Amino acid sequence: MRSLRREPALLLALLAVIALVLAFIVYPQVQVVVAPGPGGYVSFLEGGTWTGPLVHSLEVMALSTTTAVLLGFVYAYAMVYSEMRWKPFFRLIGILPLLSPPFVVAAAYVLLFGPRGIITYGVFGQTPIIFGLLGIWGVQTIAFFPFAYQLIADALSRSDARMEQAARNLGAGPWRVFRTVTLPLSRPGLGAAILTTAIYIVEDFGNPQLVGGQFTVLPTQAYNLISGFGEFTSAAAVSTLLLLIALALYVAKIRLDGGRSFVTISGRASSMPRPPVPAALSWACFAGCLLLAGLILMIYGTLLVSAITVLFPINLTPTARHFTFVATGSNADALRNTLVFSGVAALVSAILALFAGWIVQRGDWPGKGILDFLFILPAAIPGIFFGIGYLTAFNQPWLDWVDRGWLIILSMVFWNIPVGYQASVAGLRQIDRSIDEAATSLGASRLRGFWDVIRPMLAGSLRVGLVTTFVRAVTTLSVVIFLFTPATTVATIRIYQLVNDLNWGGATAFTVADITMAILALVVFAALARGRLALGMARG
Amino acid sequence: MVEAVGSVAVNPAHLRVSHITKRFAGAPAVDDVSFDVPKGSFATLLGPSGCGKTTTLRMIAGFYDPDVGDIEIGGRRVNDLPAHRRGTAMVFQDYALFPHMTVYDNVAYGLRVAGRPRPERDKRVNDTLAFVGLSGMGGRWPNQLSGGQQQRVAVARALVIEPQVLLLDEPLSNLDAKLREQLRVELRILQRRLGMTFVYVTHDQDEALSLSDWIAVMNAGKVEQAGTPWEIYYHPRTAFLADFVGAVNLVPARVQSVTDGGVTVSFGQHRASVHRPVDVSLSTGQEVRLCMRPESFTIAPAGASADGLALSGTIARRAFLGDTMRYWVKVDDREWIVDQPDPGATATLDGPVLLSLRPERVHIIAEQ
Repeated sequence: MRSLRREPALLLALLAVIALVLAFIVYPQVQVVVAPGPGGYVSFLEGGTWTGPLVHSLEVMALSTTTAVLLGFVYAYAMVYSEMRWKPFFRLIGILPLLSPPFVVAAAYVLLFGPRGIITYGVFGQTPIIFGLLGIWGVQTIAFFPFAYQLIADALSRSDARMEQAARNLGAGPWRVFRTVTLPLSRPGLGAAILTTAIYIVEDFGNPQLVGGQFTVLPTQAYNLISGFGEFTSAAAVSTLLLLIALALYVAKIRLDGGRSFVTISGRASSMPRPPVPAALSWACFAGCLLLAGLILMIYGTLLVSAITVLFPINLTPTARHFTFVATGSNADALRNTLVFSGVAALVSAILALFAGWIVQRGDWPGKGILDFLFILPAAIPGIFFGIGYLTAFNQPWLDWVDRGWLIILSMVFWNIPVGYQASVAGLRQIDRSIDEAATSLGASRLRGFWDVIRPMLAGSLRVGLVTTFVRAVTTLSVVIFLFTPATTVATIRIYQLVNDLNWGGATAFTVADITMAILALVVFAALARGRLALGMARG
Repeated sequence: MVEAVGSVAVNPAHLRVSHITKRFAGAPAVDDVSFDVPKGSFATLLGPSGCGKTTTLRMIAGFYDPDVGDIEIGGRRVNDLPAHRRGTAMVFQDYALFPHMTVYDNVAYGLRVAGRPRPERDKRVNDTLAFVGLSGMGGRWPNQLSGGQQQRVAVARALVIEPQVLLLDEPLSNLDAKLREQLRVELRILQRRLGMTFVYVTHDQDEALSLSDWIAVMNAGKVEQAGTPWEIYYHPRTAFLADFVGAVNLVPARVQSVTDGGVTVSFGQHRASVHRPVDVSLSTGQEVRLCMRPESFTIAPAGASADGLALSGTIARRAFLGDTMRYWVKVDDREWIVDQPDPGATATLDGPVLLSLRPERVHIIAEQ
């Protein structure tokens, strides 16, 4: 504390950071929570309209998390432990879903399995009802198992290969080692992976909205209340309910892994070779991964084929008309908005997060634990809630002079700030405090030391923040769905609208363009990181 | 308690630490520590890990704030100055070289921060690199250097800004024994040549003894004793000190009589007249401890003639240390450690032996 008083510039910087957190993380969320008021909550709770969506949300969470985690575990185990072939290929396929808006799985699902779906109708001649619980379950399983895979693979690869070598050396077989050494050691990581997957699923908005039909979950109910009925108070209450669930999961997750959030990014640490597994197991893994990778490829293949043919699946004549459609008029504006908003948001978010991580991690003032918590809090806030918060707080007449694009940018900046913040803190943990002190003892103020010495050393963390924030910004729907105006529409919004209009060609072409943007960003940053592959987590 | 530093005590205090206390979570890490360091002297804080020596150094540097007490540098209270305005450069245990800067840029960093013009910077960096024996290495990266070279860069980087006080936090502890000894010599020469005030922290007593003008031995947050290396080694005031600095025989004894020049003590069946310590009062019947260094003894086969105090015993064990042979000799019920220099010059002893030592080599510790 005294050290802050001696360095007014540092104190000012800290106050600025605190002000930003209060204005853009705390204030909007509090606005939503208090919006209904005590009376509003009472009548909302008595009204009972929330019980159905709540039960649905929990149902969907339980079902989808179970299946997504199971499939993700198979994929992760195969990637980390087996000696199957084609690992680089499977790794690449596993990344693809992270670079796309999760709800496009729903779109592909309708094309494949819907009443006129290529498989259901085309192959089997059936017109099944695919909307509802089963639809959401199937779609979320496919959409989120790659996320579960990333999280689980990360947890598994953190287990020390030397322990496993030692257990093998003491005479245990591969299964026994896995059961008695690997699993117990990675249990916190696996638990955190399951909880994180559950958060992604319970706050998923796009998929339930597209295939849920009458089966309403909390995020879709909140959206429908506002967009359909202008029932803002009830929507705030519903999304507060959703927030409570997500927060509970998140707090449990933090207790398991100490808040070492996202899998995200950066080349996975090369570890010591794992003890060999039986050849038959490797082949089983290969078969499993082939199946799952096939599923992913089928989803994205469908989107791609639909984007380049006249009317999928009826008229498969190649055409560029959908892309022409995407590249003209307001659609082109939406694409440009996506690029500009996400780019600016990524830049601002990553730089701010880097500095915030430093000022908090290296701080020695009271209350830094609270600030730390507030910086990772947005990771627990459902996108729909975050969006409503920004809508409530900033969509105000007195802010009319501000371009509404900034609202979207700010929401992206602060909704994603935990990514860059965690990356910064993780990076700083690798840098001994004596480096900061060396700069200080040579005459540099702490801010100057940060700029000259620490900032360049955190280049990797900065890249992680940049690419992940960019990808998440490009692929988010729920955060921006309340914030866009005709002039500030972004790609995910347009995809959503086009799917609702049943303009499949346009929607899929837009999706391809959007994913391409994310892939390009990834490739550019991977190149900047000298070949080290960066992965980004996106969510609905 | 303000200690003056041995031979250079005529100079005024350049660094003054007065009654500083620092608590971490309620427990005192540094507890009312005071000392003065004159300009141009090499002062060392010596102690086991957790004794508060590094905390003290970090308070001088400004990385910690003392809860109580003042720190003055060059006659100016620096408590309220941030670390970067104190004129104290620090050499860290792990060197803390900036890995993304070349050797040149590392050394130039402080000058760059101070806004020194480029020609001056170049000259001073190159002079300092030459001074520490790293001429022509400016273009290297820290990870291309050996541990010893990195250490030299760390020293050069701190020296080049000509700090008022150079703080060194166990700078040699990450090096292997041979290199450590070599750099120890170099550091001492360097300090003498520059006439710069050094405050050095170490847990290594050899380092402290060989480098310092003045040593403060710390234990449990307090300065146990401060003085010249000679005083610390031969006239430790406490048993902890005697034991911490070098190997020692600590023998419980009782004061029989006290005269002006000497004290007669008894231990077991033995009686000895030894020098009276100057600054302690002793009374007849008082329990004391005798402190005798292993190398103060002469060891000879039983039956040899003794000079001064004579003890008959039997060799229990021995260890060949190269430059000395260490014997554990059983005298009555106690094992005594005795070192014999240059073991190659005489036959290895076994069985009954006679230990003898001059009475003035016995030091009395009166604590308890």
